[in-house]
Amino acid sequence: MKKHLKILKCYFRLNLASAVEYRASFISQAFGMALSNSTFIFFWWIAFSQLGGNIADYSFLDVIFIWAVTSTGYGLSKIFFANASRITQLISTGELDTYLLQPCNILLSVISAGTTLTAYGDFCYGIILMAIGYTRDIYAWGWFIVGVFIYGILLTAITVFTHSLSFYMGDATVLGALSTEFAINFAIYPEKIYAPLIRTLMYSLVPVGIAVHIPLSLYREFSFEVTLAAVVTVIGYCCFTYWFFGRGLKRYESGNMIATRI
Amino acid sequence: MAIIRTKDLTKTYHTRIKAEGLKAGFSSLLKPEYKDVTAVNGIDLEIEKGEIIAFIGPNGAGKSTFIKMLCGILYPTSGEISVLGMSPIEKRRSLTMKIGTVFGQKSQLWFHLPALDSFTLLAAIYEISDAERTRRVGELSERLDLTEFLTTPVRRLSLGQRIRCEIAASLLHEPQLLFLDEPTIGLDIVGKQAVREVILESNRDRGTTVFLTSHDPMDVEHLAQRTVVIDNGKIVVDASLEQLKREYIKERVIEISFVTPQRLPQLDNVKVTVEEGGLKVRLMVQDNLEEILRNLSTLEGIADITISHPPMEEIIASIFRKQGEVG
Repeated sequence: MKKHLKILKCYFRLNLASAVEYRASFISQAFGMALSNSTFIFFWWIAFSQLGGNIADYSFLDVIFIWAVTSTGYGLSKIFFANASRITQLISTGELDTYLLQPCNILLSVISAGTTLTAYGDFCYGIILMAIGYTRDIYAWGWFIVGVFIYGILLTAITVFTHSLSFYMGDATVLGALSTEFAINFAIYPEKIYAPLIRTLMYSLVPVGIAVHIPLSLYREFSFEVTLAAVVTVIGYCCFTYWFFGRGLKRYESGNMIATRI
Repeated sequence: MAIIRTKDLTKTYHTRIKAEGLKAGFSSLLKPEYKDVTAVNGIDLEIEKGEIIAFIGPNGAGKSTFIKMLCGILYPTSGEISVLGMSPIEKRRSLTMKIGTVFGQKSQLWFHLPALDSFTLLAAIYEISDAERTRRVGELSERLDLTEFLTTPVRRLSLGQRIRCEIAASLLHEPQLLFLDEPTIGLDIVGKQAVREVILESNRDRGTTVFLTSHDPMDVEHLAQRTVVIDNGKIVVDASLEQLKREYIKERVIEISFVTPQRLPQLDNVKVTVEEGGLKVRLMVQDNLEEILRNLSTLEGIADITISHPPMEEIIASIFRKQGEVG
Protein backbone atom coordinates (compact mmCIF):
# COMPACT_ATOMS: atom_id res chain seq x y z
CA MET A 1 0.00 0.00 0.00
CA LYS A 2 2.84 2.36 0.98
CA LYS A 3 4.55 1.59 -2.35
CA HIS A 4 1.36 2.29 -4.30
CA LEU A 5 0.89 5.62 -2.54
CA LYS A 6 4.48 6.55 -3.34
CA ILE A 7 3.95 5.66 -7.02
CA LEU A 8 0.66 7.60 -7.06
CA LYS A 9 2.46 10.62 -5.58
CA CYS A 10 5.19 10.31 -8.22
CA TYR A 11 2.64 10.11 -11.05
CA PHE A 12 0.79 13.15 -9.68
CA ARG A 13 4.04 15.11 -9.54
CA LEU A 14 5.02 14.11 -13.08
CA ASN A 15 1.53 14.79 -14.45
CA LEU A 16 1.51 18.24 -12.89
CA ALA A 17 5.05 18.95 -14.09
CA SER A 18 4.01 17.82 -17.59
CA ALA A 19 0.94 20.08 -17.44
CA VAL A 20 2.79 23.18 -16.31
CA GLU A 21 5.45 22.64 -18.96
CA TYR A 22 3.09 24.82 -21.05
CA ARG A 23 2.02 27.30 -18.34
CA ALA A 24 -0.17 29.60 -20.42
CA SER A 25 -2.11 26.67 -21.84
CA PHE A 26 -2.57 25.17 -18.37
CA ILE A 27 -3.86 28.38 -16.77
CA SER A 28 -6.14 29.35 -19.66
CA GLN A 29 -7.67 25.86 -19.93
CA ALA A 30 -8.27 25.48 -16.19
CA PHE A 31 -9.71 28.99 -15.86
CA GLY A 32 -11.77 28.58 -19.05
CA MET A 33 -13.38 25.40 -17.73
CA ALA A 34 -14.36 27.07 -14.43
CA LEU A 35 -15.86 29.97 -16.43
CA SER A 36 -17.76 27.60 -18.73
CA ASN A 37 -19.21 25.71 -15.75
CA SER A 38 -20.39 28.95 -14.14
CA THR A 39 -22.70 29.70 -17.11
CA PHE A 40 -24.72 26.54 -16.29
CA ILE A 41 -25.31 27.57 -12.69
CA PHE A 42 -26.29 31.02 -13.95
CA PHE A 43 -29.04 29.40 -16.08
CA TRP A 44 -30.23 27.43 -13.05
CA TRP A 45 -30.37 30.67 -11.05
CA ILE A 46 -32.53 32.25 -13.76
CA ALA A 47 -34.82 29.19 -13.86
CA PHE A 48 -35.32 29.23 -10.08
CA SER A 49 -35.86 33.03 -10.12
CA GLN A 50 -38.57 32.68 -12.77
CA LEU A 51 -40.30 29.55 -11.42
CA GLY A 52 -39.60 30.08 -7.72
CA GLY A 53 -39.61 27.35 -5.01
CA ASN A 54 -38.45 23.88 -6.08
CA ILE A 55 -37.84 22.08 -9.37
CA ALA A 56 -38.44 18.31 -9.13
CA ASP A 57 -38.09 18.57 -5.32
CA TYR A 58 -34.70 20.31 -5.56
CA SER A 59 -34.10 23.86 -4.32
CA PHE A 60 -31.46 26.15 -5.88
CA LEU A 61 -29.16 25.32 -2.96
CA ASP A 62 -29.64 21.59 -3.65
CA VAL A 63 -28.67 22.15 -7.28
CA ILE A 64 -25.57 24.02 -6.10
CA PHE A 65 -24.71 21.00 -3.92
CA ILE A 66 -25.03 18.39 -6.70
CA TRP A 67 -23.15 20.65 -9.14
CA ALA A 68 -20.38 21.20 -6.59
CA VAL A 69 -19.99 17.48 -5.88
CA THR A 70 -20.05 16.58 -9.58
CA SER A 71 -17.60 19.29 -10.60
CA THR A 72 -15.02 18.67 -7.86
CA GLY A 73 -15.49 14.88 -8.05
CA TYR A 74 -15.02 14.98 -11.83
CA GLY A 75 -11.94 17.16 -11.34
CA LEU A 76 -10.56 14.73 -8.76
CA SER A 77 -10.99 11.77 -11.12
CA LYS A 78 -9.48 13.57 -14.11
CA ILE A 79 -6.57 15.10 -12.17
CA PHE A 80 -5.44 11.77 -10.75
CA PHE A 81 -6.85 9.11 -13.08
CA ALA A 82 -7.42 10.77 -16.48
CA ASN A 83 -5.59 7.94 -18.23
CA ALA A 84 -8.58 5.67 -17.56
CA SER A 85 -10.20 7.18 -20.64
CA ARG A 86 -7.15 6.19 -22.74
CA ILE A 87 -7.44 2.47 -21.94
CA THR A 88 -8.99 1.64 -25.34
CA GLN A 89 -6.14 3.43 -27.10
CA LEU A 90 -3.54 1.70 -24.92
CA ILE A 91 -5.07 -1.68 -25.77
CA SER A 92 -5.34 -1.11 -29.51
CA THR A 93 -1.84 0.33 -29.93
CA GLY A 94 -0.12 -2.16 -27.64
CA GLU A 95 0.99 0.60 -25.24
CA LEU A 96 -0.14 -1.48 -22.26
CA ASP A 97 3.16 -3.37 -22.67
CA THR A 98 5.03 -0.62 -20.81
CA TYR A 99 2.79 -1.04 -17.74
CA LEU A 100 2.83 -4.85 -17.87
CA LEU A 101 6.62 -4.74 -17.69
CA GLN A 102 6.63 -2.89 -14.37
CA PRO A 103 6.41 -4.53 -10.94
CA CYS A 104 3.34 -2.71 -9.71
CA ASN A 105 -0.44 -2.85 -9.88
CA ILE A 106 -1.21 -2.55 -13.60
CA LEU A 107 -4.61 -0.86 -13.33
CA LEU A 108 -3.44 1.71 -10.78
CA SER A 109 -0.36 2.45 -12.85
CA VAL A 110 -2.33 2.76 -16.10
CA ILE A 111 -5.02 5.10 -14.80
CA SER A 112 -2.59 7.30 -12.85
CA ALA A 113 -0.27 7.97 -15.79
CA GLY A 114 -2.17 10.96 -17.20
CA THR A 115 -3.99 14.12 -16.24
CA THR A 116 -6.45 16.55 -17.86
CA LEU A 117 -5.58 20.25 -17.69
CA THR A 118 -9.20 21.45 -17.54
CA ALA A 119 -9.86 19.18 -14.53
CA TYR A 120 -8.06 21.64 -12.25
CA GLY A 121 -10.72 24.21 -13.19
CA ASP A 122 -13.53 21.72 -12.50
CA PHE A 123 -11.99 20.81 -9.15
CA CYS A 124 -11.76 24.42 -7.97
CA TYR A 125 -15.17 25.39 -9.35
CA GLY A 126 -17.04 22.91 -7.09
CA ILE A 127 -15.26 24.25 -4.02
CA ILE A 128 -16.10 27.85 -5.00
CA LEU A 129 -19.77 26.86 -5.42
CA MET A 130 -19.82 25.28 -1.95
CA ALA A 131 -18.14 28.34 -0.48
CA ILE A 132 -20.89 30.51 -1.99
CA GLY A 133 -23.86 28.24 -1.21
CA TYR A 134 -22.92 26.58 2.11
CA THR A 135 -20.32 28.97 3.52
CA ARG A 136 -20.31 27.86 7.17
CA ASP A 137 -22.45 24.71 7.05
CA ILE A 138 -19.87 22.18 8.27
CA TYR A 139 -22.39 19.31 7.97
CA ALA A 140 -22.94 20.10 4.27
CA TRP A 141 -19.18 20.36 3.70
CA GLY A 142 -18.77 16.92 5.30
CA TRP A 143 -21.25 15.30 2.89
CA PHE A 144 -19.71 17.29 0.03
CA ILE A 145 -16.30 15.73 0.77
CA VAL A 146 -17.84 12.25 0.99
CA GLY A 147 -19.70 12.81 -2.29
CA VAL A 148 -16.60 14.12 -4.06
CA PHE A 149 -14.53 11.07 -3.12
CA ILE A 150 -17.27 8.65 -4.12
CA TYR A 151 -17.98 10.48 -7.39
CA GLY A 152 -14.26 10.56 -8.23
CA ILE A 153 -13.88 6.85 -7.55
CA LEU A 154 -17.09 5.86 -9.34
CA LEU A 155 -16.43 7.98 -12.41
CA THR A 156 -13.00 6.36 -12.69
CA ALA A 157 -14.50 2.88 -12.23
CA ILE A 158 -17.21 3.55 -14.84
CA THR A 159 -14.58 4.77 -17.31
CA VAL A 160 -12.36 1.75 -16.64
CA PHE A 161 -15.29 -0.63 -17.01
CA THR A 162 -16.51 0.73 -20.34
CA HIS A 163 -13.01 1.03 -21.82
CA SER A 164 -12.16 -2.51 -20.62
CA LEU A 165 -14.86 -3.70 -23.00
CA SER A 166 -12.21 -3.10 -25.68
CA PHE A 167 -10.50 -6.30 -24.52
CA TYR A 168 -13.65 -8.22 -25.46
CA MET A 169 -15.28 -6.38 -28.36
CA GLY A 170 -12.69 -4.14 -29.99
CA ASP A 171 -12.89 -0.37 -29.96
CA ALA A 172 -14.99 0.91 -27.03
CA THR A 173 -14.04 4.60 -27.37
CA VAL A 174 -17.60 5.72 -28.09
CA LEU A 175 -19.05 3.69 -25.21
CA GLY A 176 -16.41 5.18 -22.93
CA ALA A 177 -17.28 8.73 -23.96
CA LEU A 178 -21.01 7.99 -23.63
CA SER A 179 -20.61 6.59 -20.13
CA THR A 180 -18.82 9.77 -19.05
CA GLU A 181 -21.64 11.85 -20.55
CA PHE A 182 -24.20 9.79 -18.64
CA ALA A 183 -22.16 10.03 -15.45
CA ILE A 184 -22.24 13.82 -15.72
CA ASN A 185 -25.85 14.25 -16.86
CA PHE A 186 -27.23 11.85 -14.24
CA ALA A 187 -25.47 13.88 -11.57
CA ILE A 188 -26.15 17.52 -12.41
CA TYR A 189 -29.96 17.43 -12.70
CA PRO A 190 -32.54 16.61 -10.01
CA GLU A 191 -33.02 12.85 -10.15
CA LYS A 192 -36.82 13.06 -10.39
CA ILE A 193 -36.71 14.63 -13.83
CA TYR A 194 -35.58 11.22 -15.13
CA ALA A 195 -37.94 8.32 -15.91
CA PRO A 196 -37.84 5.38 -13.44
CA LEU A 197 -35.88 3.21 -15.88
CA ILE A 198 -33.16 5.84 -16.20
CA ARG A 199 -33.14 6.25 -12.42
CA THR A 200 -32.44 2.52 -12.12
CA LEU A 201 -29.47 3.02 -14.42
CA MET A 202 -28.07 5.80 -12.26
CA TYR A 203 -27.94 3.43 -9.31
CA SER A 204 -26.70 0.36 -11.19
CA LEU A 205 -24.78 0.49 -14.48
CA VAL A 206 -23.67 4.13 -14.16
CA PRO A 207 -24.16 4.50 -10.39
CA VAL A 208 -23.28 8.17 -9.94
CA GLY A 209 -26.59 8.74 -8.13
CA ILE A 210 -24.88 7.17 -5.12
CA ALA A 211 -22.20 9.85 -5.18
CA VAL A 212 -24.43 12.88 -5.67
CA HIS A 213 -28.13 12.41 -4.88
CA ILE A 214 -27.63 10.07 -1.91
CA PRO A 215 -25.18 12.38 -0.05
CA LEU A 216 -27.72 15.17 -0.60
CA SER A 217 -30.56 13.06 0.83
CA LEU A 218 -28.32 11.99 3.75
CA TYR A 219 -27.49 15.62 4.39
CA ARG A 220 -31.20 16.33 4.59
CA GLU A 221 -31.96 13.26 6.71
CA PHE A 222 -29.41 10.64 7.73
CA SER A 223 -30.23 6.95 7.23
CA PHE A 224 -27.89 4.16 8.29
CA GLU A 225 -29.49 1.63 5.89
CA VAL A 226 -29.09 3.92 2.87
CA THR A 227 -25.46 4.65 3.83
CA LEU A 228 -24.69 0.94 4.17
CA ALA A 229 -26.37 0.07 0.85
CA ALA A 230 -24.46 2.87 -0.87
CA VAL A 231 -21.11 1.75 0.57
CA VAL A 232 -21.73 -1.89 -0.43
CA THR A 233 -22.72 -0.86 -3.98
CA VAL A 234 -19.64 1.33 -4.43
CA ILE A 235 -17.27 -1.37 -3.16
CA GLY A 236 -19.05 -4.03 -5.25
CA TYR A 237 -18.89 -1.90 -8.41
CA CYS A 238 -15.19 -1.13 -7.96
CA CYS A 239 -14.31 -4.78 -7.23
CA PHE A 240 -16.25 -5.94 -10.28
CA THR A 241 -14.49 -3.37 -12.49
CA TYR A 242 -11.08 -4.43 -11.15
CA TRP A 243 -11.87 -8.09 -11.88
CA PHE A 244 -13.29 -7.25 -15.33
CA PHE A 245 -10.11 -5.37 -16.31
CA GLY A 246 -7.87 -8.19 -15.01
CA ARG A 247 -9.86 -10.81 -16.90
CA GLY A 248 -9.62 -8.69 -20.05
CA LEU A 249 -5.82 -8.49 -19.71
CA LYS A 250 -5.64 -12.22 -20.43
CA ARG A 251 -7.09 -11.47 -23.87
CA TYR A 252 -4.62 -8.65 -24.54
CA GLU A 253 -2.80 -9.16 -27.83
CA SER A 254 -0.25 -6.33 -27.66
CA GLY A 255 0.98 -4.62 -30.84
CA ASN A 256 4.01 -2.98 -32.38
CA MET A 257 2.90 0.60 -32.88
CA ILE A 258 5.57 3.19 -32.13
CA ALA A 259 4.50 4.93 -28.91
CA THR A 260 5.63 7.76 -26.65
CA ARG A 261 4.56 8.62 -23.10
CA ILE A 262 3.07 12.12 -23.00
CA MET B 1 21.89 -23.08 -14.93
CA ALA B 2 19.19 -22.28 -17.47
CA ILE B 3 17.82 -18.80 -16.87
CA ILE B 4 15.15 -19.15 -19.57
CA ARG B 5 13.49 -22.45 -20.39
CA THR B 6 10.56 -22.97 -22.74
CA LYS B 7 8.97 -26.27 -23.67
CA ASP B 8 6.63 -26.66 -26.63
CA LEU B 9 5.67 -22.99 -26.29
CA THR B 10 2.85 -22.04 -28.63
CA LYS B 11 0.84 -18.90 -29.21
CA THR B 12 -2.15 -18.84 -31.51
CA TYR B 13 -4.12 -15.71 -32.34
CA HIS B 14 -7.81 -16.05 -33.09
CA THR B 15 -8.20 -13.51 -35.89
CA ARG B 16 -11.27 -12.25 -37.68
CA ILE B 17 -11.17 -12.58 -41.45
CA LYS B 18 -12.09 -9.32 -43.15
CA ALA B 19 -12.96 -9.59 -46.80
CA GLU B 20 -12.54 -6.66 -49.16
CA GLY B 21 -15.40 -4.34 -50.09
CA LEU B 22 -18.54 -2.91 -48.49
CA LYS B 23 -20.80 -5.92 -49.14
CA ALA B 24 -18.27 -8.32 -47.64
CA GLY B 25 -17.89 -5.89 -44.72
CA PHE B 26 -21.64 -6.07 -43.97
CA SER B 27 -21.78 -9.84 -44.31
CA SER B 28 -18.79 -10.13 -41.98
CA LEU B 29 -20.70 -7.95 -39.49
CA LEU B 30 -23.63 -10.37 -39.49
CA LYS B 31 -21.70 -13.59 -39.87
CA PRO B 32 -18.10 -13.08 -38.78
CA GLU B 33 -15.53 -15.66 -39.79
CA TYR B 34 -12.38 -16.38 -37.85
CA LYS B 35 -9.11 -18.14 -38.44
CA ASP B 36 -6.33 -19.25 -36.12
CA VAL B 37 -2.89 -17.84 -36.80
CA THR B 38 -0.02 -19.60 -35.05
CA ALA B 39 2.66 -17.02 -34.31
CA VAL B 40 4.86 -19.25 -32.14
CA ASN B 41 4.77 -22.96 -32.86
CA GLY B 42 6.11 -25.31 -30.20
CA ILE B 43 9.41 -23.63 -29.32
CA ASP B 44 11.85 -25.48 -27.03
CA LEU B 45 14.67 -23.23 -25.87
CA GLU B 46 17.16 -23.05 -23.00
CA ILE B 47 19.35 -20.03 -22.28
CA GLU B 48 22.12 -20.13 -19.72
CA LYS B 49 22.97 -17.39 -17.23
CA GLY B 50 25.35 -14.78 -18.66
CA GLU B 51 24.71 -15.62 -22.32
CA ILE B 52 24.04 -13.03 -25.01
CA ILE B 53 21.50 -14.48 -27.41
CA ALA B 54 20.51 -12.96 -30.73
CA PHE B 55 17.00 -13.99 -31.64
CA ILE B 56 16.58 -13.19 -35.29
CA GLY B 57 14.13 -13.82 -38.08
CA PRO B 58 12.21 -12.09 -40.86
CA ASN B 59 9.24 -9.81 -40.12
CA GLY B 60 6.28 -11.81 -38.82
CA ALA B 61 8.45 -14.77 -37.82
CA GLY B 62 7.15 -14.68 -34.23
CA LYS B 63 10.10 -12.94 -32.51
CA SER B 64 8.08 -10.25 -30.71
CA THR B 65 5.33 -12.68 -29.69
CA PHE B 66 7.94 -15.01 -28.19
CA ILE B 67 9.75 -12.24 -26.30
CA LYS B 68 6.41 -10.87 -25.01
CA MET B 69 5.47 -14.28 -23.62
CA LEU B 70 8.82 -14.48 -21.84
CA CYS B 71 8.18 -11.06 -20.26
CA GLY B 72 4.63 -11.91 -19.17
CA ILE B 73 2.91 -9.51 -21.58
CA LEU B 74 1.17 -12.24 -23.56
CA TYR B 75 -0.46 -15.43 -22.31
CA PRO B 76 0.75 -18.54 -24.16
CA THR B 77 -1.85 -20.78 -25.79
CA SER B 78 0.03 -23.88 -24.63
CA GLY B 79 3.42 -25.05 -23.45
CA GLU B 80 5.64 -24.15 -20.52
CA ILE B 81 7.80 -21.11 -19.72
CA SER B 82 10.21 -20.55 -16.89
CA VAL B 83 12.17 -17.30 -16.66
CA LEU B 84 14.56 -16.94 -13.72
CA GLY B 85 12.78 -19.94 -12.21
CA MET B 86 9.37 -18.25 -12.38
CA SER B 87 6.30 -18.46 -14.53
CA PRO B 88 5.92 -15.02 -16.20
CA ILE B 89 2.13 -15.26 -15.97
CA GLU B 90 1.83 -16.34 -12.34
CA LYS B 91 4.74 -14.27 -10.98
CA ARG B 92 4.63 -11.24 -13.27
CA ARG B 93 5.41 -8.71 -10.53
CA SER B 94 8.31 -10.68 -9.00
CA LEU B 95 9.73 -11.36 -12.45
CA THR B 96 9.56 -7.77 -13.66
CA MET B 97 11.61 -6.72 -10.61
CA LYS B 98 14.48 -8.77 -12.06
CA ILE B 99 14.22 -8.10 -15.78
CA GLY B 100 14.91 -5.00 -17.83
CA THR B 101 13.45 -4.25 -21.22
CA VAL B 102 14.15 -1.92 -24.10
CA PHE B 103 11.54 -2.10 -26.79
CA GLY B 104 12.83 0.30 -29.44
CA GLN B 105 9.27 1.14 -30.49
CA LYS B 106 7.92 1.91 -27.01
CA SER B 107 9.25 4.45 -24.58
CA GLN B 108 9.47 4.32 -20.80
CA LEU B 109 10.32 8.01 -20.71
CA TRP B 110 7.91 10.91 -20.31
CA PHE B 111 7.99 12.93 -23.51
CA HIS B 112 7.60 16.44 -22.03
CA LEU B 113 9.83 15.91 -18.99
CA PRO B 114 13.55 15.38 -18.46
CA ALA B 115 14.73 11.75 -18.29
CA LEU B 116 15.74 12.40 -14.68
CA ASP B 117 12.05 12.70 -13.72
CA SER B 118 11.26 9.38 -15.39
CA PHE B 119 14.12 7.79 -13.45
CA THR B 120 12.55 9.07 -10.20
CA LEU B 121 9.25 7.39 -11.10
CA LEU B 122 11.00 4.15 -12.08
CA ALA B 123 12.94 4.19 -8.80
CA ALA B 124 9.62 4.35 -6.91
CA ILE B 125 8.21 1.51 -9.03
CA TYR B 126 11.30 -0.67 -8.49
CA GLU B 127 11.50 0.23 -4.77
CA ILE B 128 14.92 1.86 -5.02
CA SER B 129 15.80 4.20 -2.15
CA ASP B 130 16.61 7.87 -2.88
CA ALA B 131 20.30 7.46 -1.98
CA GLU B 132 20.62 4.34 -4.13
CA ARG B 133 18.80 6.03 -7.00
CA THR B 134 21.22 8.97 -6.90
CA ARG B 135 24.18 6.58 -6.95
CA ARG B 136 22.85 4.47 -9.84
CA VAL B 137 21.75 7.45 -11.94
CA GLY B 138 25.23 8.96 -11.46
CA GLU B 139 26.90 5.72 -12.48
CA LEU B 140 24.68 5.19 -15.54
CA SER B 141 25.07 8.82 -16.59
CA GLU B 142 28.81 8.35 -16.61
CA ARG B 143 28.72 5.03 -18.48
CA LEU B 144 26.21 6.24 -21.06
CA ASP B 145 27.42 9.83 -21.17
CA LEU B 146 24.03 11.27 -20.20
CA THR B 147 25.07 14.07 -17.83
CA GLU B 148 24.77 16.83 -20.43
CA PHE B 149 21.12 16.21 -21.26
CA LEU B 150 19.72 14.52 -18.17
CA THR B 151 17.68 17.61 -17.31
CA THR B 152 16.53 18.35 -20.89
CA PRO B 153 12.94 17.40 -21.77
CA VAL B 154 12.95 14.12 -23.71
CA ARG B 155 11.14 15.71 -26.66
CA ARG B 156 14.24 17.86 -27.30
CA LEU B 157 16.69 14.93 -27.34
CA SER B 158 18.08 13.32 -30.46
CA LEU B 159 17.07 9.71 -31.13
CA GLY B 160 20.51 8.48 -30.04
CA GLN B 161 20.33 10.42 -26.76
CA ARG B 162 16.79 9.14 -26.14
CA ILE B 163 17.76 5.50 -26.70
CA ARG B 164 20.70 5.92 -24.31
CA CYS B 165 18.25 7.24 -21.71
CA GLU B 166 15.95 4.27 -22.43
CA ILE B 167 18.84 1.89 -21.82
CA ALA B 168 19.66 3.69 -18.56
CA ALA B 169 15.99 3.38 -17.52
CA SER B 170 16.06 -0.35 -18.19
CA LEU B 171 19.30 -0.82 -16.21
CA LEU B 172 18.33 1.38 -13.25
CA HIS B 173 17.13 -1.56 -11.14
CA GLU B 174 20.18 -3.67 -12.11
CA PRO B 175 18.27 -6.48 -13.83
CA GLN B 176 19.62 -10.01 -14.09
CA LEU B 177 18.08 -10.43 -17.52
CA LEU B 178 17.80 -7.85 -20.25
CA PHE B 179 15.34 -8.11 -23.13
CA LEU B 180 16.24 -5.87 -26.04
CA ASP B 181 13.81 -5.69 -28.93
CA GLU B 182 15.39 -3.68 -31.76
CA PRO B 183 17.45 -1.48 -29.39
CA THR B 184 19.40 0.19 -32.17
CA ILE B 185 16.49 0.85 -34.53
CA GLY B 186 16.86 4.24 -36.22
CA LEU B 187 20.27 5.04 -34.68
CA ASP B 188 23.32 6.28 -36.55
CA ILE B 189 26.60 4.32 -36.48
CA VAL B 190 27.98 6.18 -33.43
CA GLY B 191 24.72 5.70 -31.53
CA LYS B 192 24.65 2.00 -32.37
CA GLN B 193 28.22 1.55 -31.18
CA ALA B 194 27.49 3.32 -27.88
CA VAL B 195 24.48 1.11 -27.22
CA ARG B 196 26.41 -2.06 -28.07
CA GLU B 197 29.25 -1.07 -25.73
CA VAL B 198 26.88 -0.58 -22.79
CA ILE B 199 25.22 -3.95 -23.41
CA LEU B 200 28.58 -5.71 -23.54
CA GLU B 201 29.77 -3.88 -20.42
CA SER B 202 26.67 -4.87 -18.51
CA ASN B 203 27.14 -8.50 -19.56
CA ARG B 204 30.86 -8.48 -18.71
CA ASP B 205 30.74 -6.58 -15.41
CA ARG B 206 27.45 -7.79 -13.93
CA GLY B 207 26.89 -11.08 -15.71
CA THR B 208 23.62 -9.78 -17.14
CA THR B 209 22.00 -12.26 -19.51
CA VAL B 210 20.94 -10.52 -22.72
CA PHE B 211 18.15 -11.61 -25.04
CA LEU B 212 18.34 -9.54 -28.19
CA THR B 213 16.18 -9.26 -31.28
CA SER B 214 17.44 -7.15 -34.11
CA HIS B 215 17.24 -6.73 -37.84
CA ASP B 216 20.72 -5.23 -37.82
CA PRO B 217 23.27 -7.97 -38.62
CA MET B 218 26.00 -5.87 -37.01
CA ASP B 219 24.19 -6.08 -33.65
CA VAL B 220 24.34 -9.86 -33.98
CA GLU B 221 27.97 -9.85 -35.05
CA HIS B 222 29.15 -7.49 -32.28
CA LEU B 223 27.04 -8.75 -29.41
CA ALA B 224 25.82 -12.31 -29.75
CA GLN B 225 27.59 -15.41 -28.54
CA ARG B 226 24.76 -17.57 -29.77
CA THR B 227 22.22 -17.02 -32.52
CA VAL B 228 18.74 -18.44 -32.68
CA VAL B 229 16.97 -18.03 -36.00
CA ILE B 230 13.20 -18.28 -36.04
CA ASP B 231 10.88 -18.51 -39.03
CA ASN B 232 7.14 -19.23 -39.17
CA GLY B 233 7.09 -19.54 -35.37
CA LYS B 234 9.71 -22.31 -35.27
CA ILE B 235 13.42 -22.36 -34.49
CA VAL B 236 15.31 -23.13 -37.68
CA VAL B 237 18.86 -22.54 -36.47
CA ASP B 238 20.36 -22.52 -32.98
CA ALA B 239 24.13 -22.11 -33.18
CA SER B 240 27.11 -20.11 -31.97
CA LEU B 241 28.27 -17.31 -34.24
CA GLU B 242 31.30 -19.37 -35.33
CA GLN B 243 29.15 -22.41 -36.04
CA LEU B 244 26.79 -20.24 -37.99
CA LYS B 245 29.60 -19.01 -40.19
CA ARG B 246 31.14 -22.46 -40.52
CA GLU B 247 28.04 -24.50 -41.20
CA TYR B 248 25.76 -22.15 -42.99
CA ILE B 249 28.22 -20.29 -45.13
CA LYS B 250 30.46 -22.23 -47.46
CA GLU B 251 31.39 -19.05 -49.27
CA ARG B 252 34.56 -17.05 -48.77
CA VAL B 253 35.41 -13.59 -50.03
CA ILE B 254 38.87 -13.13 -51.56
CA GLU B 255 39.89 -9.51 -52.11
CA ILE B 256 43.07 -8.87 -54.10
CA SER B 257 44.82 -5.56 -54.77
CA PHE B 258 47.32 -5.40 -57.66
CA VAL B 259 50.22 -3.04 -58.33
CA THR B 260 49.25 -2.98 -62.04
CA PRO B 261 45.96 -4.10 -63.56
CA GLN B 262 45.86 -7.88 -64.07
CA ARG B 263 43.80 -10.26 -66.09
CA LEU B 264 42.44 -13.19 -64.07
CA PRO B 265 42.67 -16.78 -65.30
CA GLN B 266 39.48 -18.71 -66.08
CA LEU B 267 37.88 -19.70 -62.71
CA ASP B 268 34.89 -22.04 -62.36
CA ASN B 269 32.04 -21.38 -59.90
CA VAL B 270 33.41 -17.97 -58.88
CA LYS B 271 31.60 -14.65 -58.92
CA VAL B 272 34.16 -11.97 -59.88
CA THR B 273 33.80 -8.20 -59.32
CA VAL B 274 36.50 -6.00 -60.87
CA GLU B 275 37.04 -2.51 -59.45
CA GLU B 276 39.33 0.46 -60.18
CA GLY B 277 40.11 -0.70 -63.71
CA GLY B 278 41.46 -4.07 -62.66
CA LEU B 279 43.54 -2.86 -59.68
CA LYS B 280 41.13 -4.54 -57.23
CA VAL B 281 39.12 -7.75 -57.63
CA ARG B 282 36.61 -9.39 -55.31
CA LEU B 283 35.94 -13.11 -55.69
CA MET B 284 33.03 -14.98 -54.09
CA VAL B 285 34.31 -18.54 -53.77
CA GLN B 286 32.08 -21.54 -53.01
CA ASP B 287 33.75 -24.74 -51.74
CA ASN B 288 36.77 -24.81 -54.11
CA LEU B 289 38.97 -22.37 -52.14
CA GLU B 290 42.17 -24.44 -52.40
CA GLU B 291 41.95 -24.80 -56.17
CA ILE B 292 41.22 -21.10 -56.67
CA LEU B 293 44.17 -20.06 -54.48
CA ARG B 294 46.44 -22.35 -56.50
CA ASN B 295 45.28 -20.67 -59.73
CA LEU B 296 45.68 -17.20 -58.26
CA SER B 297 49.24 -17.92 -57.08
CA THR B 298 50.37 -17.76 -60.72
CA LEU B 299 49.44 -14.08 -60.90
CA GLU B 300 52.10 -11.41 -60.61
CA GLY B 301 52.11 -7.97 -58.97
CA ILE B 302 49.83 -8.80 -56.03
CA ALA B 303 49.99 -5.93 -53.46
CA ASP B 304 47.55 -7.36 -50.92
CA ILE B 305 45.24 -10.33 -50.50
CA THR B 306 42.59 -11.01 -47.83
CA ILE B 307 40.27 -13.97 -47.30
CA SER B 308 37.17 -13.48 -45.16
CA HIS B 309 33.62 -14.64 -44.46
CA PRO B 310 30.86 -12.71 -46.16
CA PRO B 311 29.31 -9.98 -43.95
CA MET B 312 26.72 -11.05 -41.34
CA GLU B 313 23.99 -9.54 -43.47
CA GLU B 314 24.71 -12.03 -46.25
CA ILE B 315 24.90 -14.93 -43.78
CA ILE B 316 21.44 -14.18 -42.41
CA ALA B 317 19.98 -13.64 -45.86
CA SER B 318 21.52 -16.93 -46.94
CA ILE B 319 19.92 -18.79 -43.99
CA PHE B 320 16.52 -17.35 -44.85
CA ARG B 321 17.00 -18.21 -48.52
CA LYS B 322 17.92 -21.79 -47.65
CA GLN B 323 14.93 -22.12 -45.32
CA GLY B 324 12.70 -20.77 -48.08
CA GLU B 325 14.06 -23.36 -50.53
CA VAL B 326 13.55 -26.18 -47.99
CA GLY B 327 10.07 -24.94 -47.12
